[in-house]
Amino acid sequence: MIEVKDLTFSYGKDKQALHSLNFSVSDGEIFGFLGPNGSGKSTTQKILTGILKGHGGYVSLFGQEIQTVHTKEFFQKIGVLFEFPYLYSNLSAIDNLKYFSSFYPKEQLRDAEELLDELEFKRDFLKKPVSSYSKGMRQRVSMARALISNPQLLFLDEPTSGLDPSGAVLFRNIIEEERKKGTTVFLTTHNMVDADLLCDRVAFISNGAIVALDTPKKLKEQNSSQQVIIDYLYQEKREQKIIVTQELKHGIAFPYDEIVSIHSQEPTLEDMFIQYTGRGLA
Amino acid sequence: MWRGFSYLLKKDFKMMLSSKFFLLALCSVVLYSCYINYVYINLDQDIYPVYLYDPHNTQHIVSEHVTKVDTRAALEEACEDEYSVGVDLSTVTPEVYMLSSGIETTDYLRGIYAEKVVSSGVEEQAEIIGTNDKELKNRREITAEFLFFELSAVGFLGLAAMLFKEKQMGVIRVHGVLPVCKSAFILSKLCWILLSDVLFTILLTLINIGVENGISILPAVLIQAGILSLIMALAGFLCAVCLPDFKQFSLFYLIIAIFITTPVFLAGQTGIEWGWIVYHPMYHLFVGMKSAYFAAPAPAYPYYLICTGVIVLLFLFAHRALTNEMAKEG
Repeated sequence: MIEVKDLTFSYGKDKQALHSLNFSVSDGEIFGFLGPNGSGKSTTQKILTGILKGHGGYVSLFGQEIQTVHTKEFFQKIGVLFEFPYLYSNLSAIDNLKYFSSFYPKEQLRDAEELLDELEFKRDFLKKPVSSYSKGMRQRVSMARALISNPQLLFLDEPTSGLDPSGAVLFRNIIEEERKKGTTVFLTTHNMVDADLLCDRVAFISNGAIVALDTPKKLKEQNSSQQVIIDYLYQEKREQKIIVTQELKHGIAFPYDEIVSIHSQEPTLEDMFIQYTGRGLA
Repeated sequence: MWRGFSYLLKKDFKMMLSSKFFLLALCSVVLYSCYINYVYINLDQDIYPVYLYDPHNTQHIVSEHVTKVDTRAALEEACEDEYSVGVDLSTVTPEVYMLSSGIETTDYLRGIYAEKVVSSGVEEQAEIIGTNDKELKNRREITAEFLFFELSAVGFLGLAAMLFKEKQMGVIRVHGVLPVCKSAFILSKLCWILLSDVLFTILLTLINIGVENGISILPAVLIQAGILSLIMALAGFLCAVCLPDFKQFSLFYLIIAIFITTPVFLAGQTGIEWGWIVYHPMYHLFVGMKSAYFAAPAPAYPYYLICTGVIVLLFLFAHRALTNEMAKEG
């Protein structure tokens, strides 16, 4: 679906934003693009969506070189959710969706009200102006805008931003549903939980370069200390021991009355990111 | 394509309605028409009062437009308003006395008028130039000026205000990833501004010039109005996209008003003579508008060629600025 080779981009002569990026995204994959502010995430997404021109290297989408791909047909195949819910505040949710969907062929459109129902949008607000909506409601309408054209490739920038925990779970389920339908998702986020739960693969980008790229599981495994923490009770006292996982092959070798819990010492994605880039995601 | 464009038109119409653009334009028509019909056409300046000091009674027949005074001091006192003109016949050589109005041409006309009225009166039939009576001439003049002002100011501000709203809402960036032509985004706005300005021009002209006279000049006036409307709307669009906020835009607008439009009004409406004004592009648009109202010969082809070139250039700049705006960070 997406193939990027030696992608470079600079704003002006001496502000190199991207340094030779290489990655590919398969059909139906959810690909996470993680990085701190100013790392080059947005620049990459803008190049892929055709907003930003003048890059170096080779980029192809839908099997076509990017320079020739940004036609009306290309934009009919993609859906983009921006970090902020950009909507006409004087129009209602329905009017916004009618307006934005008017540029797509009718036969590829989903029903606006059904889509908003799926996104658990409050029906009372359907015809009220967006200016009266909460941030979560605006985010739902924005997501509906990105999905209404049944895109084959979905660019999502911080999709769960501004949502409460149940809203975030709902959005993750909807993204999963899209994957099941065969939609490819390019997910840009700071949210490690989203990336861990949703992404087939993630790329860490720092200072315009990809510093790690693999499945979340492998990234964590590769950097695991291979230890487990065991909490147990022995002679009516609670104790804790850290042992190397290899030792478990022969069972638990120390005396105990009851095992309370066993936790693997696997690092989180955020730990990995800090390890690879030397800085946090904020 | 057309379905998308019709939705763009519908959305822009709603935006203009919510910003009360049409209401403001209608109020302007009412306000300008009231001023023209109830104030401006009733304003008239008396012809220069002429005072005559003629101690030797050399003038036996004196026009009713001349006031005789008894002393030179009285003559000088009467002329202190810098408007009246005195003629002193106390010496062999008649002397015209006046305090300068500050404008050489006006002073010259005052002098000629005074000499004429003292020597032979003004009862002679004046030669009539053109077909306008004084009221119609005033109506044409002020309507042309109001229309020029309205299109320069409101065309520039109206579209810019609408675009600033869209910029604040961030929706311009969304259009960067939609299967919509960027030119259509600009064109739909231009269509409404142009339509609004055309209706404004028709109403203002017919109400204030009269139906019969108005219809005869309307085609020429509409062409000039269309040119001015497109240029100002595109300039407003360009500024609104390039400038970061409405405060800076207002400041820029003030600069335009002071340094671009004011010299045109001064050169066109007062006796101030500036040779360089012919290089001022707005001056030619102003003259074009006035010529259209007075049914004067239409400007030459190069004028229309240059105007078309300017409109095309502004459109291309606006398109480029819009593309850059779409790529900006949130």
